[in-house]
Amino acid sequence: MISRNLRTALLAGVGVCCMGGLGFASVPLYRMFCAATGLNGTTQRGLEAPGAVQGQKVTVAFDSNVSPALAWEFKPERRSDRIDIGGRDMAFFTAKNLSSQTLTGTASFNVTPAQVGKYFTKIQCFCFTRQTLKPGEEIRMPVIFYVDPKILDDPDARDVKEITLSYTFYPVDSAETKR
Amino acid sequence: MTDIALDHGAAHDDHAHHDADHKPGFFVRWFMSTNHKDIGTLYLIFAIIAGIIGGGISGMMRLELAHPGLQYLGAWYEFLHGPGKFDDATEFWNVLITAHGLIMVFFMVMPAMIGGFGNWFVPIMIGAPDMAFPRMNNISFWLLIPSFSLLLASPFFGGAGTGWTVYAPLSTSGSHGPAVDMAILSLHLAGASSILGAINFITTIFNMRAPGMTLHKMPLFVWSILVTAFLLLLALPVLAAAITMLLTDRNFHTAFYDASGGGDPILYQHLFWFFGHPEVYIMILPGFGMVSQIVATFSRKPVFGYLGMAYAMVAIGVVGFIVWAHHMFTTGMSVQVKMYFTAATMVIAVPTGVKIFSWIATMWGGSMSFKTPMVWALGFIFMFTVGGVTGVVLANGGVDDFMQDTYYVVAHFHYVLSLGAVFSLFAGFYYWFPKMTGRMYNELLGQLHFWIFFIGVNVLFFPMHFLGAQGMPRRMPDYPDAQAYWNLIASWGYAIMGVGMVFFFVNIFWSMFKGEKAGDNPWGEGATTLEWTLSSPPPYHQFDTLPVIEDSHHH
Repeated sequence: MISRNLRTALLAGVGVCCMGGLGFASVPLYRMFCAATGLNGTTQRGLEAPGAVQGQKVTVAFDSNVSPALAWEFKPERRSDRIDIGGRDMAFFTAKNLSSQTLTGTASFNVTPAQVGKYFTKIQCFCFTRQTLKPGEEIRMPVIFYVDPKILDDPDARDVKEITLSYTFYPVDSAETKR
Repeated sequence: MTDIALDHGAAHDDHAHHDADHKPGFFVRWFMSTNHKDIGTLYLIFAIIAGIIGGGISGMMRLELAHPGLQYLGAWYEFLHGPGKFDDATEFWNVLITAHGLIMVFFMVMPAMIGGFGNWFVPIMIGAPDMAFPRMNNISFWLLIPSFSLLLASPFFGGAGTGWTVYAPLSTSGSHGPAVDMAILSLHLAGASSILGAINFITTIFNMRAPGMTLHKMPLFVWSILVTAFLLLLALPVLAAAITMLLTDRNFHTAFYDASGGGDPILYQHLFWFFGHPEVYIMILPGFGMVSQIVATFSRKPVFGYLGMAYAMVAIGVVGFIVWAHHMFTTGMSVQVKMYFTAATMVIAVPTGVKIFSWIATMWGGSMSFKTPMVWALGFIFMFTVGGVTGVVLANGGVDDFMQDTYYVVAHFHYVLSLGAVFSLFAGFYYWFPKMTGRMYNELLGQLHFWIFFIGVNVLFFPMHFLGAQGMPRRMPDYPDAQAYWNLIASWGYAIMGVGMVFFFVNIFWSMFKGEKAGDNPWGEGATTLEWTLSSPPPYHQFDTLPVIEDSHHH
């Protein structure tokens, strides 16, 4: 009787541990899921653009934000580009350190509308690494990307005429406690 | 449901003579209790106290919302913390709604349903002498005390104004001070308490049924507690993980939910609602079970479609785990994801419909008597159906884009919880009051309680549908003048409900000491479950000789 009860309780305890583990495991799983499906406008990474599809164009607008905790000025050189779907495009952003200290920042990013996340592919981006600026320093930062022509076959995304690529720069703690 | 016939000469006749009814002294009995009935009583007392506090807070909210503009918030804030700015007063509103939600969910409904009635009647209904792990049962209850204390103390340390959902980033970078940490720790403790309780119930129900009590002969209330225990077991650890990460984000510079460190606040919402949706079924399933017992008893018929009823609850539990994102329709989902969650959510209406149908079919052709427990159960069925219908409306992703976070949602979940779960709690309380105390409640006071409460809550919550459709957002202490009319009516509804509650308290105190003595079975032949074969109140230790459940005739 006792051992039978104990066995049931232990099995239930294993269930509790598994679900608790699943709760924590969901952090990397969720990141992988977003990367794979473009959920929440998560962009993709690629090596080479597949080449422009004739006559299919889309406007990509650039949006820039800076966390109030980071004394930088950050803006795109052009507000938007009209590009061929499938064609490679390069856009530049400039960042300037307005403070009297050396500051390191990193950019988070996504695209809207969210359903184009899985078609928006970056080949190279300043957001892949951290950026460190000396006091008063100004840099030009490129992003190279293309929009996957598969977007034309997706009924959810087919009528998208404009994609907004958004960046937000956050400070990286000098102590490097994060990540 | 199957009739249960005791073997001849079984359990209950001569318990008064021997040691089975020997009770320990006051301190040992109530503070170190390992007796499932005493622990159940403690849970019920705890839930009533928490309900008074949580209900009092909602009274403060309805008082503030009775008229446009801020009337009382500033004074309440000043009473607690000294003079403050306008923002402090409105933040205090957030503290009130958070406290109301957390108290009612974790410290009123769950302790009453699972800890209270579950502890009291699950062992008796399956013919077991006690729970499988009586000491663990004691820990489950006493974990709630520090948990509730932490939550009640948090307003004195700034207050947790995060909503019961504790969404990041409001709960991480948006709230400073120890109050939110205290609320999170309070949730941890309450969760641990419920997980231990769930393990206990599962073990008891699987291993300690009396001879002949197969799973398919168990009373539906036991089935409901079994399904609830599994939901608790699978859902609460996910909440524990989610809020542990909240704590580390707040205190140890992690960035699970912080976009600047590569995290995502939406992840918290997914984790919370993966727990949160099963949680709403945790709160209502034991109510389903109680209502099934009561409707069968007062119709003098076995429940219609017993197996369908039992497996409808299983189905609700299973599907409850795969619909969570319908709470997050406005977080930016693709149309397909919305379609899936809309469809999956509506599917739940099918087993729920099976239950409503079966309750009505149980009454159909039955010899019904409208005693207080029965009118509460009927009130439950009506209210829950209204709340279910608005739930189907809200399940539509497109409609929800408009309805999200409006008073329509508030009306919906109060119809299923405040009117559904609470009505079933009152039904169960009146139904088992004679069994628990040995005395009958006063029928007139019980009926008055029901009718005044019924009118009050409908006047209180029905106008919220209109307010929500007009776009009044929830969690706001103020509203435009155009919405003053229905808000005032809702506040009067609260007052009517409060009058009803007076009859409840008068009734229980009067009946506890002066009530007519109840026999073993005050409800007659309709009450077929094992608790009615015992004396009222039952002996301190029941079933020294295990009852044998005969394979009775089929219906």
